[in-house]
Amino acid sequence: MNSTTETDSVSDPILTLNSIEVLYDSVLLAIKGVSLEVPRGGMVALLGANGAGKSTTLKAISGLLKAERGKVSRGEIKFDGQVIGDSLPQDRVAMGICHVIEGRRVFEHLTPDENLEAAAPISMSRQQIKSEKERMYDYFPRLAERKSAEAGYLSGGEQQMLAIGRALMTQPRLLMLDEPSLGLAPFLVAEIFDIIQKINREQGLSVLLVEQNAVAALKIVSQGYLIENGRVVMHDTAEALKANSDIQEFYLGGGEAKNFHDIKHYRRRKRWLS
Amino acid sequence: MDWIFLAELSVNGALTGLLYSLFAIGLVLVYKSSSVPNLAQGALTMLGAYVVLAFSIQLGVPLWLAIPVAIVIMFFVGLGIEKVALRRLAGRPIVMILMMTLGLDIFIRGSTLAVWGGTSRPMELGVSYDPFFAGPLLLSRINMVGAAVSVALFVAFIFFFRSRLGIRLRAISDDYMASWSVGISVERGVGLSWALASVVAVITGVIWGEIQSVDQSLSLLLLKGLTVAVLGGLDSILGAVLAGILLGIVENVGSAYLDPIVGGGSRDLLVAIVLILTVMVRPHGLFGRHDIERV
Repeated sequence: MNSTTETDSVSDPILTLNSIEVLYDSVLLAIKGVSLEVPRGGMVALLGANGAGKSTTLKAISGLLKAERGKVSRGEIKFDGQVIGDSLPQDRVAMGICHVIEGRRVFEHLTPDENLEAAAPISMSRQQIKSEKERMYDYFPRLAERKSAEAGYLSGGEQQMLAIGRALMTQPRLLMLDEPSLGLAPFLVAEIFDIIQKINREQGLSVLLVEQNAVAALKIVSQGYLIENGRVVMHDTAEALKANSDIQEFYLGGGEAKNFHDIKHYRRRKRWLS
Repeated sequence: MDWIFLAELSVNGALTGLLYSLFAIGLVLVYKSSSVPNLAQGALTMLGAYVVLAFSIQLGVPLWLAIPVAIVIMFFVGLGIEKVALRRLAGRPIVMILMMTLGLDIFIRGSTLAVWGGTSRPMELGVSYDPFFAGPLLLSRINMVGAAVSVALFVAFIFFFRSRLGIRLRAISDDYMASWSVGISVERGVGLSWALASVVAVITGVIWGEIQSVDQSLSLLLLKGLTVAVLGGLDSILGAVLAGILLGIVENVGSAYLDPIVGGGSRDLLVAIVLILTVMVRPHGLFGRHDIERV
């Protein structure tokens, strides 16, 4: 069920993070040394609670940190053997890194068709754009049905599909997904994860998946990293993580003792953040 | 009631209104990309007119050549403004960007005054001032020319925003972060919108320069242009065109009937009332985009 072949994963990762630190506004240390690897053609999950630094890690890789006045202050990010440095987001997209940001963020006043077209690289020919759009509609038939409605009026699941399709239009070799399951019904999460897995298998697309929904994520990835307070605290295969008792208690909801106060607190926090 | 007189007032009002729309289209272009009403658009319009005159009168270049040259120059002026003044403000509070456009307005007005002085210069576009009758209606030729240019520009932008580049610009106006995430250069897009607004400013400057000749007062068009843009919804080009027509008619018809009663000056009052009522009753204008809330 795992899509990676472990042999080439060890030898030549497509993405390597070497103890990176991220600083916001030159003072706030959001990430304190994260190292991780995504094998070529592999699927890796980055798990952790709200505010642990998962999204920040993705933004460091995609370069979107800059828009939030953050920067990588230490460590290095290597993509396909090349150090990324502090290149612009659009250069990284051109290299083959695409980041599906949290909360879907489709272009609300554009139609799904225009959303896909907006993301196509400038160098892509009209013909190619057309066939790429057809490919996205094959992956996500629901989008084809609504391709000329304003994207803001699509359902949450459809918007997430559109956000992923839009990212695929950039022809990435590494797709980073930030909480694609957020706010979606379980059957939609399953549908979307199935498609991601299918693309990973058919196209050899490498995937870095950030999730709070560890149950769903660990079903499709081959390995996972657990991040807490800006640090990687655990790294193992998906099977081993699923079997780990701490993970079961805190992230898979298997534990017995539930502190109701914590849950309420968590939900309140989430409302503020969303 | 004299219907022919009313029709004449309405048609002339609509034509004048389309000239306000011409100005408002420039405001809409910048608003779409930067979410800020560009308070320097009036000064840019005046600068555009002065650049045309610098070539046509001072250098003796024929007008048909001076206008395209000025358009090219102002295109790069627009790009430059974004690069020098606005790029570093990206992500800062909107009020900072608004203050920057105010600063630009004062700067451009000050420097045009220093370079070209305060005397009024004619544009000499060569449009005849002979009366023109459409049936029983007396119309102004220059207003008709300007209105036609305004409509042509409107149509051109409708097509532009459906092109690949235009779709990207609309994406930028929807969501900066999402645009960056798929490799769209937001900076270049915002720069392009300033460049296009500056091109519109040249065209507006030529038409209005012909109507009221070129001097510092050309920059005061901002007030009416802003009213039209707000009434139209600030981010809608169609809104700017229709709001212009509407404001032109209200202003022309209203003042014709009110002026004899109040003894003149009701024209600007009507514009102010429209602006205030729009903000009070319909803050996002007639065609303004509001954030989509799914239910």
